Amino acid sequence: MAGQGLVTVDQTLCVGSGMCIVYAPESFDHDEHAKVVALDPMGDPLDAISTAVEACPTGALRLVPQEQEA
Amino acid sequence: MTDLSPPAALDRDRIRELFDLRSSYNSFSGGDYTDDPYPVWHELRARAAVHEGTVHRLTGYPGEAMFQGLPFPDRPHFSVFGFEACDAAFRDSETFASSPVAINPIGDDVGVMNSMLSMGGDQHRRYRALVQPSFVPAKAKWWIVNWIQETVQDLVDRIAGDGRAELNTDFCAAIPVLTITGSFGVPVDQALVIRESLRDPAAVVRILAPIVAARRESPSDDLISVLVQAELKEADGTTHTLSDAEIYSFAILLLTAGSGTTWKQMGITLTALLQRPEVLAAVREDRTLLKACVEESVRWLPTDPMFSRHVTRDVDFYGTTLPKGSVLHMCLGAAGRDPERWDRPDEFDPYRPLKRSLGFGGGPHICLGMHLARAEITTGINALLDRLPNLRLDPDAEQPRYVGLYERGATEIPVLFG
Repeated sequence: MAGQGLVTVDQTLCVGSGMCIVYAPESFDHDEHAKVVALDPMGDPLDAISTAVEACPTGALRLVPQEQEA
Repeated sequence: MTDLSPPAALDRDRIRELFDLRSSYNSFSGGDYTDDPYPVWHELRARAAVHEGTVHRLTGYPGEAMFQGLPFPDRPHFSVFGFEACDAAFRDSETFASSPVAINPIGDDVGVMNSMLSMGGDQHRRYRALVQPSFVPAKAKWWIVNWIQETVQDLVDRIAGDGRAELNTDFCAAIPVLTITGSFGVPVDQALVIRESLRDPAAVVRILAPIVAARRESPSDDLISVLVQAELKEADGTTHTLSDAEIYSFAILLLTAGSGTTWKQMGITLTALLQRPEVLAAVREDRTLLKACVEESVRWLPTDPMFSRHVTRDVDFYGTTLPKGSVLHMCLGAAGRDPERWDRPDEFDPYRPLKRSLGFGGGPHICLGMHLARAEITTGINALLDRLPNLRLDPDAEQPRYVGLYERGATEIPVLFG
């Protein structure tokens, strides 16, 4: 499971398509204006989260490079 | 509410005529095309990133086919078939605009071409934001409980005792049109009148006008109420409520998109399952697999396989110079089978890892109703599996085929059960 800080969200780019929620429903949600919110903790496997980030049609989500664990 | 239930009010022959892809109503968009376009599309994608010409001409269709972005006979036309190029064009909506002209929705022109489908940039964002909250995944239950479930159960009631049915027009076709008209508060007996009149906005407005007026007086829990109460933020920060003309254009866009596409994708999904009894059996046992089947169907055979954009500046695009004023056609059907992105792309395989396709489009104009479409397809297929035991294709009937060029779907889906 991933923690906070894995994905950055830019609500000004978000159109509320909900594509992220299709692929990572336990990690993303919408506020009442249908703008994306990243949940903490993110409840999906990392590959589902990166599928969701790639799926965003307006580039509102970015994966934050994580430091490798020793 | 009307006391006519959907089965009584919907005339079966009329539905057939309106929804059979091969009937004259749909020949407009290449409904008489019966070949498999995918071999040609593979060839075109492999040969060059950008081709001169329209998708229908490059595919070898001899007639004139119409769709969004056509015909514009005086402009140069280009087409792309790969995932990456289609995605790039969708995402760059400044260079690749949805309309050749600016859109003024406040005026008296009512219709799809004056709706947010054709808008760009900030204007599109502001209009879309008004309805997006009604179409998010979390609203699926609102749609299902209020409009989808009852329609689906009524339609199954009508066939459950027969042991056989033709599911495409007698089941799939009716669900989306009744869902969207229901959400507008349009009585069932007028739903088909609306479907018939979509190319005649004035006729639709005659049906919608009293409903819009009534919701302005007294809003209820439906989509027209959302529109009459919506406050549009202008670029200068002021807000205004939508005019009647704006609401009608919005409504006609939602009706066109809602009543013309989902039923075909439902038929495509059903056909794919019925033709693969082992997959159908797996879905029957484990309904969570249905989600992957719907996603796979949208990748493998999207009902609308082409959308277009207007080039707003001279641009070098994948090695070809597209002049300002030209039209770029994105063949997202071909993009869904790009071997650069999917292994064994021609196989319908719901077990492949989930990954975005362009079947619902892409970029800021990505399909507003996609979660509603998913809810309709899932609710419909689940009801069939719940209530029609041993559902299977009728081996003695003509088997379903996929037809149509710019609006694709199954011919007929003859089934037996019990």
